[in-house]
Amino acid sequence: MIRQTDLTVNFAGIKLKNPVLTASGTFGYGHEVSDLISLSKLGGIITKTITLHPNNGNAQPRLYETDYGILNSIGLQNIGLESFIQNHLQKLYKIGVPIIVSIAGQATNEYIKIAKILSEHSIISAIELNLSCPNLQKNIICSDLSMLQSIVYNVKNVLNIPVIAKLSPLNADITKPAFIAQEAGADALTIANTYPAMAIDIDTYKPKLSTIKGGLSGPCIKPITLRCVYDVYKKSNIKIPIIGCGGISNGSDVIEFILAGATAVSIGSVSLNSPSNLITIIDETYNILKRKNISSITDLIGQIKS
Amino acid sequence: MYKRFDKNYNIISNNHVKDKYFKLNIHVGNNVIYCNPGQFFMLNLPGHILRRPFSIHDINMQDQSISFLYKVVGKGTKELSQVRKGKIKLLGPLGNGYNLNNCEQENCNNIIIAGGSGIASLYILAKKLKKTGTLYYGVRSKTDLICVDQFISLNWKVIVATEDGSIGYKGYIVDLVENLIKKNDIIFACGPHNMLIKIQQIIYKNQISGFISFEAKMGCGFGNCQSCTIVINNQLQKVCTDGPIFKICSFQHYKIK
Repeated sequence: MIRQTDLTVNFAGIKLKNPVLTASGTFGYGHEVSDLISLSKLGGIITKTITLHPNNGNAQPRLYETDYGILNSIGLQNIGLESFIQNHLQKLYKIGVPIIVSIAGQATNEYIKIAKILSEHSIISAIELNLSCPNLQKNIICSDLSMLQSIVYNVKNVLNIPVIAKLSPLNADITKPAFIAQEAGADALTIANTYPAMAIDIDTYKPKLSTIKGGLSGPCIKPITLRCVYDVYKKSNIKIPIIGCGGISNGSDVIEFILAGATAVSIGSVSLNSPSNLITIIDETYNILKRKNISSITDLIGQIKS
Repeated sequence: MYKRFDKNYNIISNNHVKDKYFKLNIHVGNNVIYCNPGQFFMLNLPGHILRRPFSIHDINMQDQSISFLYKVVGKGTKELSQVRKGKIKLLGPLGNGYNLNNCEQENCNNIIIAGGSGIASLYILAKKLKKTGTLYYGVRSKTDLICVDQFISLNWKVIVATEDGSIGYKGYIVDLVENLIKKNDIIFACGPHNMLIKIQQIIYKNQISGFISFEAKMGCGFGNCQSCTIVINNQLQKVCTDGPIFKICSFQHYKIK
């Protein structure tokens, strides 16, 4: 008997036609490559992180590809909330897939302010709180557990759409911030962000990035982030769904993250090489399920065998 | 007409030109009509996650081919230089390119200023400009010169500067140009950042038209990663999508602060 192969997932109440999302900061405002790929094939779009006011980001150089992965220190360059709403939101809506807006603030009240303004736009499916950017001139927010709690709790209070907390992998026990985010009201988690890292030019003795340190991404981080997802999923008191985010480059990687406990994945570095890689990854995921005669991808969530 | 493609093309040839320089010639079919001087393509290099930008060196409408003149600088370009035939995946053409209808005026003198491998993208510009002009070309040493014969065959006057004085003016090409600028000159420039800063100053000081092709570290080439942002004419600009060609209207250090 030929069985249907279904990639649909229910993620925190949002129906995704497949589990593949774009990772924030790697897909612009979400619609710029509509001439290159069919954006409606994506599971959903997570925008680049929006801040209340326009942000210039860090000085050049802010990108360097090492032999192992990509270092960036963009520093959340974006056009600011008002311009995002005016110039991009409608274009995103027309794509016809769930839109998740990534936001960041300087402090709790700025997160709340952004969330309040976005709450007036019903076309947004969810908010992802970027609590883990390694490229700002201060500590990673989610390393301060009380601040993490306060931001999630207060943002959740002003929104009636799902709130996703994007956490840093740089925590001795990532289940701690994950649990705190859940208890504060987060509907889901993104595990994780880039890894603080650096590179030095051995001729000039200068760092490769203007900020010295940046965030490492790409296939090299996949096994580490996979472990983070697994740790969070197997923690019995964490029930909210997980977006796995870290170095995913093909359909097998997607399946691995789903087996480790992710309900969806977000993909960044390889979509910078070519946005068409996102579609290839969706097709590969579909083909793996078909080959294995698995009717629904949801059957695989957390199905790692011990 | 602006259209870009992300697809495999056939390599026609990939030949050694001189020293570390190679010329990659690719059959792009009908897409050749969308290729313009100043635009670039992103190429997959072996062993890299991110593609690298390569500016268009030549466009041949009859053969429906384009070429890239590139320098071997690392592992990726070294491996590329060893490919002889087969298919290669390219994304492009990308970037704004020179707006040839607007930049050339009736009584202007076309001045091209090239520094080092910056010459690669300027040959197709010289070929497409209606009038010939003068190429000011600066390199470290005589042996670094490339493309000179190509400019001469287009009837361009070529003036060379070398840092070591092995041929032509001894010193930087901008120092030579600075004293020769006239009111009706139009400058087109590509080269190292320090050279381009000085050329911005020259353009601004003399109140002449100037178009600069900037290079920057690019992650994607289509505006999504924002790695290549610089400040031009007091605005944040992405070199990949807002540029790489910028008409210079003001002068400032193009650093993000």
